[in-house]
Formats: sequence, C-alpha cells, structure tokens
Amino acid sequence: MRKYAALVASVALNSFLEGARSRFFTMFAVFAFTAVYASVLAGVMAVDQEERLLGDFGLLLTELTTLAYLLFNASSSLLREAETKTIYLVFSRPVPRSAYLAGKLAGALLTGAMMLLLMGAVHLSLLHFRGFGLPPFYGWALAGIFLKLCVIVSFAFFVSLFSTSAVSTLVISAIMWTLGHFAAEARFLAEEAAGFQGALLGLLINLVPNLQLFNARDAAGAAAALPAAALLPAAAWTLACYFAGLWLLSRKEF
Amino acid sequence: MKHAVSFAGVGKTYKRPGLLGARYHTALTEVSFEIPAGEVTGLLGLNGAGKTTIMKLITGLLFPDSGKIRVFGHSPSDGAAKARVGFLPELPYFPPQLKPADALAYYGRLSGLSGAALAAAVGDAMRKTGLEPHAGKRVSEFSKGMLQRLGLAQALLHAPDLLVLDEPVSGLDPLAIHDIRSLLAGLNAEGRAIFLSSHSISEVEKLCSRVLIMVRGSLARTVRRQEWEASSAGLEGIFVEAVR
Amino acid sequence: MRGRGYGLLAAALLCWAAGSYAGAAYRLPFPPPSEMRSPLNGAGGDMLALALGARRVFADLWFVRLLQYYGKKEARVSSDQPGHETHEHRVDEHGRTHCDHGANYGKGEYPSFLPMARHILEVDPSFTAAGLYGAASLAFNMERPAEAEELLRYGLKYSPKEWKYLTVLAAIGYSNAQNPAAVAEAIKPLLSEPDCPVMLKQLAAFLNKRAGNLAAAAAIYADILATSRDEFYVRNAERELRKLAWGPGGRP
Repeated sequence: MRKYAALVASVALNSFLEGARSRFFTMFAVFAFTAVYASVLAGVMAVDQEERLLGDFGLLLTELTTLAYLLFNASSSLLREAETKTIYLVFSRPVPRSAYLAGKLAGALLTGAMMLLLMGAVHLSLLHFRGFGLPPFYGWALAGIFLKLCVIVSFAFFVSLFSTSAVSTLVISAIMWTLGHFAAEARFLAEEAAGFQGALLGLLINLVPNLQLFNARDAAGAAAALPAAALLPAAAWTLACYFAGLWLLSRKEF
Repeated sequence: MKHAVSFAGVGKTYKRPGLLGARYHTALTEVSFEIPAGEVTGLLGLNGAGKTTIMKLITGLLFPDSGKIRVFGHSPSDGAAKARVGFLPELPYFPPQLKPADALAYYGRLSGLSGAALAAAVGDAMRKTGLEPHAGKRVSEFSKGMLQRLGLAQALLHAPDLLVLDEPVSGLDPLAIHDIRSLLAGLNAEGRAIFLSSHSISEVEKLCSRVLIMVRGSLARTVRRQEWEASSAGLEGIFVEAVR
Repeated sequence: MRGRGYGLLAAALLCWAAGSYAGAAYRLPFPPPSEMRSPLNGAGGDMLALALGARRVFADLWFVRLLQYYGKKEARVSSDQPGHETHEHRVDEHGRTHCDHGANYGKGEYPSFLPMARHILEVDPSFTAAGLYGAASLAFNMERPAEAEELLRYGLKYSPKEWKYLTVLAAIGYSNAQNPAAVAEAIKPLLSEPDCPVMLKQLAAFLNKRAGNLAAAAAIYADILATSRDEFYVRNAERELRKLAWGPGGRP
C-alpha cells in the first residue's frame, strides 16, 4: 500500500511540476492576473457596491481561468504522453494503471489548488489595496470551486481516454460544465413537467453532475457555507469518472 | 536453460476504427519463440514485419489476441514481470527542461526505488551510460546520441534481468554506436539478457548470439551465431534469403 | 488486464448514481428561470449567468446598469451645474434658490427602473443592497411607493427573514401617512448596516435636519463621508456638514 501511494505521489508530483513549468501555465497566470486587476474598473462603476463587485468578478475570473487551464491540461496530458511515447517508459515499469491515472488526476488537481491559492492571494491583495477586507464567504467559495474542478477535471480525463483529439475533450467537458450549472434549473423544470416528459427529464438530469451544489461562490449571500452533503456527491462523481477512465485505460493499448 | 521470455502461438491484429467500419491489420500470426536468460537475442525484419509489436507485447503495452506470452514465468502485464524488464523504445522522449538526473529519478521512483537506493541507481546508470560529464546540462541541450544514452540509463535503473531495446543504435554516429555496443556487451557480461531489434545487420551480427528473422508478422527463421559464422554469405545472406 | 474491466464499469456507475442520489435533495436558493423577465436586451446575459453559475456577477452588472440608467438626465432637470443635474432647486419667498440636494435628489420618471431593479433580485435575490437601493429610490426619490412595495415584496419572497426589507416597507408606510419623523425613526437601525444604500442615509439626514435634530443629521452626513464612494453624496455631505457647522442663521 505504501509503495502504491508512493507511485501515485511520484506521478502526481511529476504531473504538477510539468504543469507548473509549462509556458501555457505562465500565459494563463498572466491573463488571470491582468483580468483580475482590470476588474477594478468595473468595481469603480458599482460605486458603493465596489467591494461586492470586485469580490464576485475576481472569484469568477479565478474559477474560469483555473478551469480553462486544467481542462486544457487534462484533455491533452494523456494524449501527449502517448504521442511522445513517454507513457511507454511508465507502463513498461511495474506501475499499475490505476496508480498512474490517480497520480495524473491528483497532479492536475494539485496544480488547480495552487492556481486557486495564488490567484486568490492576488485577488485579496487587490481588495486590500482598494481598502476592503476578506469577504466572509471567500474560503467557502474557493473550496466550492475546487470541488467543481475535481468533478469536471476527472470527467475530462475520462473523456480524453476515448476522444480522438484534445479539442473534442475540451468541448465535451465544457458542455458538461455548462449543463452542470443548469442541472438545478433542469430539476425544477422536471418537477414542474408532468407524466412521461417529467420522468424522462428527471432521469436525464441524473446523468449530469449538479455543479450548483458546490457553487458557494454564487450562492454567497443565500448560503455561503457549503453543505456537508456537497462533499459526498463531489467525491462520488469524481470517483465515478476515475473508475470509468480506469476501465478505458486498463483496456487501452499503446 | 531458463527462458526470460516465451511466446507460444501468439497472434495480434490491430483494429483501426473508421467512419465506414473498422479496418483490421494482422501484425503477428502464430509466433512462437523463446529468449534464453543471459543471452543477447536480435530481432531482424523489414519495416512492418512485427518487430515493435513483439517488443510492446513483451513489455505489456499491447495485449495478445491469441496465444500465450510469459516473461520470467509471469504475464507481461504482471508487476513481477515488469520489475525484471527494462525497455528502451525507439526515439525516447524526455521533458527538455529537465536535467538527466531529474528525469532518471522520476523513472527510478516509478520502478519502486527511493532514498539512497534511488540516488545510487541514478548515479550508477549515468556512469554506465557515460552521462556523468553531462550531468549539468538540460535534456534540450542533448544530442541524439546522448538522448539514446539517457534512454538506456532509464532502462537500467532497476537493474533488470532483461533489456528490451527497440532500435538502440538507430540514427547514431559511429562513435556513439561503438560506445553503446560496448555498454551492451558489458551488461550482457553481467548476466542480463538483451533482446534488441535493429535494421543494422552488422550490429546484430556483432552483439547477438541468436537472431530471430520476422517476415510479414511470422517468425521466418531463428539463426544461431554458429550458423551465420559458418555461412559464406554471413547473417546478411541468410536474412536476405529469408525475407525474399 | 483487459478482462477485469466490467467491475470498474459497475463501480463507476454505482458511484455516479450515489452522487446523483446524494445531491438530489438540493434545491437552488434562486428564483426559477420562469421568473426571470429580462428587461431590455438582457436574455443573453441571463443565459450566461445560469450557464457559468455566475448569478452574482451578472446581478452586479445589472446593478451597474441600473446606476447608469438612474444617473441619466431626464426632462425635469432644472440646473446644469455639476452635481445638480438630476434634481430640482427650491426657490424661497425672497426669490433665492436653495438646493436641498436630497429631498428631490433623483426625482424623475425612469420608467424602466422597477423592471431593472426587480431583475437584479430575479438573478440574485440575496443582493439585499440592490433591493434596498431600488426600493428607497422608488419610494423616496421618485415617489412611487407602490412600485417600491412591489420590489420589496419580491425580495421578501426569496429572503423572507430579511428585516431590512421589512424596515423599508414600514418606512414607506409612514411616508404614505405623511409622518417624516416616523420614517426617520424606522430607518434608523438600517443606517449602521453595511448594505444600507447611501440615499437612505441621505434621506435620514435630511429628515433629521428638517426635524431640527441637527446633531443626528451631522452624524449621518459624517458617516456618508466616511463610508460612501458615491461622489455626489459625498460632496453633498461635505456641503451639508459645512452648513451645519455654520448654523441655521449662517453663523458658526
């Protein structure tokens, strides 16, 4: 078990360092910092609501940038390793495919966590610079963003194992992300619809992860704290994508 | 004699999905052979003869459709088999920003090494492959020959009993070829079995004690050193006759 | 390796079902999409707000749009001096012009004000400051208390425990009953709240000043000066503080 954990940690660390060293990472980081800084302009327009607007814009930009980078990373990572034959050097060793996939996923999420913390620090500095304190829901918002990323990044890894290109993985994952935010509204519509239509919609909703569960960033006023019940679906959906991905990876030839 | 690898009636067909149904390509048909432990065995064949397929089957990167493969008595997918095999694919890739020791440390950890054992294994592999003087350089500064040495070094890290080398001297200059040949001879002298594929008949002739000749996915001939040394046309003549 | 696949597939399906089951009880704290009535050309923005899970940001943008809309000149403007464009000046019996800069500040028709303000709450009902700002502007600046009540009642539908909405509702009731002292008293607890709109503070200061509670008025103007970033209100508070320091007869 310790050996297995060490293997997962090795792959995760390597994946994290590779991600952090990538020039795309730098590009995304520069873009994010500029965007967060530019939100000051919008904040000034909100006059007495500048604090709220700056907080909201910064968090949304942090989430979107981290999501974009991680999806890019997850959709191209396995494909690139297969193309460069790096994966030959891994799978010709006694590395279980389950440990490899877990390491890749953990590495991507570690990169995401680091991006969230870094951009959060920049964002909070900006708020401080404008004379505002730490928004009360900030920690919950970042935790919620991270849970969303866990689900969608593991989904992207799963898709990347059967899709033919990184672009198609990106598109499919982005669609799932969007649908995930609509899931709660779709559930409302299903409950309103009667008969077969309602039942069918109710069934289809279960195929989409309800990302609103983790959207503490958006529900900040209404329900700042993430419900404990949010952790279970996040873990279950992430694991489901991992197992499905592993099912594909264990059958995959290189 | 114990066998490092045994193939018994192995078949492999590639399936390529297409818009109008899948296309199939048979890469190996009923291939049977053994690689004796401690020997250097060569694999010769024209392009598409199935050489790389055999190497990937041994290292568990591909799964056979029929027949049975054993590596030190285990299935090639088994960790126990992989722990005893070192693989050098053709044109291996390493992240360009890394130094050789960093790249080797990663693969060493994947082979289950850690701490002092890992540091010793990395140092040993770099010394054996002549990479020590280049320890301060990044992979991006490496020539093709140095990359090949690094590829060999990663295959040696866990002191495997069998080295599977796909085109180990392809594209190298004569001096690099000479160095790698000496290195492989040294490794074989330590008791390791080596299974290598090559397009260079003269290299195979110099290193191997046995050669398998593949023709269109089938094993056409197994030739022992005594045979080609006794033949007036040498190994080249035997090969040409087999593939025609 | 290949054979053991189906156990993994079954585990994946089980986990997915467990996630869906565990999250099934969750209900959004937001109004359903059927309640969103986008004014102007806002439907695209609303779709984005839902798709990106970014209701708060889009509510913020709608709030900025409301501020810009409310800041526009209307037909009743009687002064074009900077800072006085949007309110009328009083002329006394001696023909001198007086600027109350608060009693009438923000007067105008602004027909889209209610739909725009309501839309902010449709997108994010937790945006209390926007609800209070909209209701106070409608009730006390534009003298459309019925619309203000409509807005507050919508806000209360999704935030039934929001005492600030109830407070403003009460203040509107006193205002309808022509009882300015009670209005000032009603909104008093709101003034120390961080999301109290500055115009309510301005109204409270004005009512206190008119009732002769000059110290209370000065304290509120000082608070506006310290907490608001709205230039108009800040400049007005400075002016009023100067006037109060000089006393009603023009002497310090």
